[in-house]
Amino acid sequence: MSVAALSETQAVESAIRPAAKSESILHLLTCGSVDDGKSTLIGRLLWDAAGVTDDQRAQIMHASHGRAMNGEKIDFSLLLDGLVAEREQGITIDIAWRYFETESRRYVIIDSPGHEQYTRNMATGASHADIAVLLVDARHGVKRQTRRHAAICNLVGIKKVILAVNKMDQIDWSEERYRAIEADFRAIADNFSFTDIASIPVAALTGANVVARSDEMPWYAGPTLLEYLETVEAKTEAQDAPFRMPVQLVLRGDNDFRGYAGTVTSGTVHVGDRVVDARSGLGATLQRIVTMTGDLTSASSGDAVTLLLDTDLDISRGAVLTETERRPTNADVLEARLVWLSEKPFDPEAGYLLRTATDLTPVTSMSVSTLIDFETLSSHQAHDCGMNDIADCRILLGRSTALDLFSDLPLTGNFVLVNALDGATVAGGVITWVQTGAAAVGDNVLVLDRARLASLCADLGDSPEDKAEYDRRAQEVAILLRSAGIPVLIATDR
Amino acid sequence: MTALTSHLKLLEAESIHIFREAAAQFRTPVLLYSIGKDSTVLLHLARKAFWPAKLPFPLLHVDTTWKFREMIAFRDRIVAEMGLDLIVQTNHDAVAKNINPFDYPPSVYTDIMKTQALRKGLDDGGFDAAFGGARRDEEASRAKERVFSFRANGHTWDPRLQRPEMWQLLNGRLGKDETVRVFPMSNWTEADIWRYIMLEQLEVVPLYFAKERPTVERDGQLLMVDDDRIPMKPGEQPVMRKVRFRTLGCYPLTAAIESEAEDLDAVVTETLGAKVSERAGRLIDHDEVGAMEKKKREGYF
Repeated sequence: MSVAALSETQAVESAIRPAAKSESILHLLTCGSVDDGKSTLIGRLLWDAAGVTDDQRAQIMHASHGRAMNGEKIDFSLLLDGLVAEREQGITIDIAWRYFETESRRYVIIDSPGHEQYTRNMATGASHADIAVLLVDARHGVKRQTRRHAAICNLVGIKKVILAVNKMDQIDWSEERYRAIEADFRAIADNFSFTDIASIPVAALTGANVVARSDEMPWYAGPTLLEYLETVEAKTEAQDAPFRMPVQLVLRGDNDFRGYAGTVTSGTVHVGDRVVDARSGLGATLQRIVTMTGDLTSASSGDAVTLLLDTDLDISRGAVLTETERRPTNADVLEARLVWLSEKPFDPEAGYLLRTATDLTPVTSMSVSTLIDFETLSSHQAHDCGMNDIADCRILLGRSTALDLFSDLPLTGNFVLVNALDGATVAGGVITWVQTGAAAVGDNVLVLDRARLASLCADLGDSPEDKAEYDRRAQEVAILLRSAGIPVLIATDR
Repeated sequence: MTALTSHLKLLEAESIHIFREAAAQFRTPVLLYSIGKDSTVLLHLARKAFWPAKLPFPLLHVDTTWKFREMIAFRDRIVAEMGLDLIVQTNHDAVAKNINPFDYPPSVYTDIMKTQALRKGLDDGGFDAAFGGARRDEEASRAKERVFSFRANGHTWDPRLQRPEMWQLLNGRLGKDETVRVFPMSNWTEADIWRYIMLEQLEVVPLYFAKERPTVERDGQLLMVDDDRIPMKPGEQPVMRKVRFRTLGCYPLTAAIESEAEDLDAVVTETLGAKVSERAGRLIDHDEVGAMEKKKREGYF
């Protein structure tokens, strides 16, 4: 890039940071089975790529004396395993976030645990990643946990994976063994919708093919791990995605200011555009896009803004503002694929809530249809699911809410399932099918309408705050009844 | 209009999103304000999140009575200028018993003056959520923390039982007796903080900039003589050195670094080239192995 081509922003930035660099951030997940060497690999990457400060180096050198491994002097995993229990047991319990910059880009590294019992933490990490490094121990090849991790990466929407065959030093740098594992993995990956699959033979302990090229594997001509990461494209949003902004809050200011605050999850909106509340179908024209540092003329995916409309749509948190054409479905039934995260297995009688972008909706009923078998990666019929399972399910909602399909718009097509009683996040899922008006009112469903809630809400009037409070109380009553085994529908009689 | 880079815009938007989610989901949030650079950015992001509405929560400052005098002056001026609602929490019983950072080990002093005072401040106010400026790049146990970090009764943290936090979805539904620490700046680095302060032209406590200040050397670390409560050894005299601070806390527990960086530009340049992590100047972190995690488990920020 020539100097003349630098924008004002870049000129300011280059005064602070001399090297020109891509403004994209690469969120990198490491996963794989326990003892495959994930923390060591990332520790080595940070160590060799200068993501470690001098005092941290000294601390690690000092701490390593207690637990030298394989005759090596430095235990690189200590850079990541920050909890006392992790250091004592030599395992990773929870994900660690590390940040570093090279000359060409910024990295957020998410190191995830391999133990099956901590899979929920791995799923948390995976949902924030653009690309996953799946580690495999060259001595053992692809394991059940590798397949589970690949399935979770796929579920949460990761499209790019790198197979890192680690501990090549332990198998005499054997090309034959490496090629066999690579072929195994590619066969597995065929089950998923990954778009980019790379494969690299490495030895994290010696550093071979991590940052520096290895002399021991002349048969491997591909890039080292860092070389690959420096050039791979981060996740990019589809061009021309439809506009969505889930409303987080209604902000009030002077002169009857009433703005809808939220983060644009997809697409772009311009001042003057027509926008619609997906639930009611009511429309308005966008008058201003307000921020503390000045109004904007447009807002795009990722921008946290406040929208001012020309007519009051009388909406609150949980509403989704959308463009007029390609709208989300105002759905009360959905099908989804989810990963179960709670130690308590799925209970069809329990009270669950569906937390989507900004809405929280009571679940009327839920059933599991199939489970993934992590040996064969095929689905089989089931009605139960427990911790670390991946299941397909059908969910009936207590009232309708605006939903997209995850494959179209991930941020308005994902959800977590919440246990209504203790608040725990029990599952994370992606929406695969939605429909409106399917949750028919049967004889055994209690309908919570204004009449039933009249005395509980006698103190509430017609102001937006009071309406929001009415919704909140109706929801809490629905949750209480639901957890007592009574199916409930909340009537929306606006 | 400011000229934020796309990288900083992304971090800013993420932080604003977190502030709004927390304000919508919790009944009585509070912002923990500790006057330093991270708190300065935290407060600025909070104002952006709710502008043009007023901040929908108060600020809470845990004052150990051992903060640098310039910090307190800065705090009081900012609060007055911005019209903020500030609660100051001090462990007055401990002050009366003369608990101080010279006669007590850092871990004991910190527990009594900071952790206990913080817990009392949160309990007294009935706050169900507290915003903090902690970043994952600060320290190894913080690198493990969630954005919504749940605390059991007594504000204790169990790192083995953290709630899954998937995608952009933040689940703030509380269980019995649970409260939450919210970290909107989890994904910022020290360099990001300084770049942002520079591009947004935020005012910070002057202690961050190099100036001739009276100092003494203790165990290889430079301490500033901020008032006459610091006991001098026989024959010891404060020496004027050109120093600044990378982090700010209690003056007897916060080491200065010798520096020529007198303005933001120079500080940013120095920070980006730093070979030592910022918490190296925090004397309380080195007290024992896993010191930060232990403090966090007990309810420290």
